[in-house]
Amino acid sequence: MVNHGFDQRGRVNIEILHKAYSGSKGTLLALKDILLTINPGEFVCIVGGSGCGKTTLLRIIAGLETEYEGAVFLDGKKLTGTGLDRGVVFQEHRLLSWLTVHANVGFGLAGLAPEQRSRDIRHYISLVGLDKFEHEYPHQLSGGMSQRVAVARALVGHPEVLLLDEPFASLDALTRMRLQQEILRIWQAERTTVVLVTHDIEEAVYLADRVVIMFPQPGTIRNIVPIRMSRPRDRTDREFVRVRKSVHDDLFAPGGISHLAPDNF
Amino acid sequence: MSAAEQNRRLVWKGATAKSTPKPLATIGRIYIPDRALGWIIPVTVLLVWEPLARFGMLPPNWLPAPTVVGKTIYQLAIAGDLVRHAGTTIARVAVGFVLGASAGTLLGGLTGYLPVARKLLDPSLQALRSVPSIAWVPLFLLWLGIQETSKIALISVGAFFPVYLNLSVAMRHVDPKLLEVGKLYRLSSLQMVRRLILPAALPEYILGLRSGLGLAWMFVVAAELLGASSGIGYLMLDGEMTGRAAVILASVLLFAIFGKLTDWGMNAVGRRLLGHRAR
Repeated sequence: MVNHGFDQRGRVNIEILHKAYSGSKGTLLALKDILLTINPGEFVCIVGGSGCGKTTLLRIIAGLETEYEGAVFLDGKKLTGTGLDRGVVFQEHRLLSWLTVHANVGFGLAGLAPEQRSRDIRHYISLVGLDKFEHEYPHQLSGGMSQRVAVARALVGHPEVLLLDEPFASLDALTRMRLQQEILRIWQAERTTVVLVTHDIEEAVYLADRVVIMFPQPGTIRNIVPIRMSRPRDRTDREFVRVRKSVHDDLFAPGGISHLAPDNF
Repeated sequence: MSAAEQNRRLVWKGATAKSTPKPLATIGRIYIPDRALGWIIPVTVLLVWEPLARFGMLPPNWLPAPTVVGKTIYQLAIAGDLVRHAGTTIARVAVGFVLGASAGTLLGGLTGYLPVARKLLDPSLQALRSVPSIAWVPLFLLWLGIQETSKIALISVGAFFPVYLNLSVAMRHVDPKLLEVGKLYRLSSLQMVRRLILPAALPEYILGLRSGLGLAWMFVVAAELLGASSGIGYLMLDGEMTGRAAVILASVLLFAIFGKLTDWGMNAVGRRLLGHRAR
């Protein structure tokens, strides 16, 4: 039920040529020539400053943005909108305040026998470590717990790809580190492909198989850094520090951080 | 654990433990519970009023003693008038409120969900809303006669607007971020309304129902004062015609009691519907 095994599903081919937003002040070119293949079961982190289009990229993969030139393929199939083959976690938990944890996790789950459905939901609540909170409501949970529920909700439909948009950005530093470990554990248990957008370099180096560095205006891929350190990674390890510095230097190279958003770093 | 650490723990625990808040008022060493503060003025007024009226300092045809008002209600009750008049009034409020709130729910839901319906209907409804509702009375009397229909129409108009407005606005203002969650799970339009928009709008809608009910009570007074042969408003008018201030005061008191009771009831229903949701 849970373990998909190495069935090589969850390959994402991104071929975005052009994505622009038109507003009152003219057109803003958000993404240009984004060519990226993400392998099945791979953990990819996308880092970049504000306005580099990293969230837009994730939203295109999720199917929430459909106006762009190019195409995104999941296992060879062209994506045309949202779908249950992709689970999404946003920066805010976006839980429904009128539903319990159990009902929130099962919100998008359709077409299952009641027992099966309940079993799946409980399995994922347990996977994120919230067994005791199954019948609580969102306002009774801390920020970290709410984000765990959001992860369970994204995973319960057995997606091929898990998309996370700065999922830990609004949590305190210790909770964030804890959840980073958890997401690795969950990824290893589920073997889904993971794409995580962040502006936290350390987070990217700690989690990813590959770090994709994006530059703004227009959003482009500057560099892709493979991280070959074995897990669990030690954030104070010399190699870790070295890789983090190289990603940092790439990101802060001329043109790396948008001059439009000087306050972001 | 070191002594310092122990101290810190104690301080920390002390800080989070529930402490009783300091009472707002004290007389010497006597503490007055906060809940009792609100009773001081009404009880004092009653205690001063009663002897003043009893000993003829207040003209009884203006301001009869509280006990006389109480006795009037009791007499109305044993004569069966109370049940008859209160029953009529409550029935009018109930029918008028149900009709007005239903129409408000229907049109509020429609305009809240369909932008086209809002653009089509909202300007007209807003224009109607700017008419002070009592101004409808002559027209309703002309069209619907002086019987029940015109009264119920007036009450319905009163109940309609808060329900309509609150539901329509709340449905339009559902957090787009939540709607995106529905989009991720490919909910149909109907599922979107049923599973996201309506539950998200529910607290505002319940608030609208409460205000609608309050206005229904306001308008039943107007309707009954303007011509009725039964109801608490009629009782009031009758008290005025026959110069019985006690009857008027008794009617005022009855309106207050019934209004408050139905509001409590509506509030209780609302709380039940909202369940454990964060407020």
